[in-house]
Amino acid sequence: MGNCLKRSTTDDISLLRGSDSVRESSSEQLGPPNYQEPLPIQAASPVYHPSPSVTRSVAQLTEEEQVKIAKRIGLIQHLPTGLYDGCKKARECVICMVEFLVGDALRYLPCMHTYHMSCIDDWLMRSLTCPSCMEPVDAALLTSYETN
Amino acid sequence: MAGLSPSERRLQKELMSLMKEPPPGVEVDFDLAEQNLLHWIINMEGAAGTLYEGERFQLQFKFSNKYPFDSPEVTFVGNNIPVHPHIYSNGHICLSILTDDWSPALSVQSVCLSIVSMLSSCKEKQRPPDNAFYVKTCNKNPKKTKWWYHDDSV
Repeated sequence: MGNCLKRSTTDDISLLRGSDSVRESSSEQLGPPNYQEPLPIQAASPVYHPSPSVTRSVAQLTEEEQVKIAKRIGLIQHLPTGLYDGCKKARECVICMVEFLVGDALRYLPCMHTYHMSCIDDWLMRSLTCPSCMEPVDAALLTSYETN
Repeated sequence: MAGLSPSERRLQKELMSLMKEPPPGVEVDFDLAEQNLLHWIINMEGAAGTLYEGERFQLQFKFSNKYPFDSPEVTFVGNNIPVHPHIYSNGHICLSILTDDWSPALSVQSVCLSIVSMLSSCKEKQRPPDNAFYVKTCNKNPKKTKWWYHDDSV
């Protein structure tokens, strides 16, 4: 036991020293570009798209954008989902261009267009419109509530 | 298709379908696209009966790893840039589906058809009125331009 403890403390110190020197050298090399390249931010925290061409980490979002994205997530959760049952009306997801397979998770938009859930959710988080007919999903959802 | 990212998988599908059924006047450089799926060159012919009949153009498509959620960067390249009110002499194209109106349901094929139709409906060959200023001041990437779309007639 004593041995183990002793060994682990020496290891800890060497690790700390090691990691310190790694951190220093990596920040020297990668410091400035980190702010420009989206990849390191993406690895650290999820990124959001207040509009399709804008990419931001949570920390970079303005309050207005945070509200916009929170509303968007709420709305997306209200859209019906299901598993593909082999129905012939919808055959292919136009986003990934792959045919639906029985058991695939789907999401149905109010305009009746159907996509893979993972594909359409990725798009809706950027823009609340149907990729096929460009109908705004939020407006269509409200009308469907009013008529029902 | 194993080992490809989702965007590369979709591009591979699009490439195959363009190879099997190319739209009239549109031809992809397959060897180049196969080498790098994120960079395509497309040869385009001016449609018969239009101001561009007999002319040949080259379109460059650059895709990000977010395609099709992110629109492709599309420009005319080479030594014949069409003279058109929405095409700048540096090859940049003012077309809303390439930025604001992009949708992941659009494809290389639909973008090509839009551009062919934009050329075909042209009544008079001329550069955009702000060509000289734009070409001098714009970013190399046309997606960085804040386009004003105001004229749907050509």
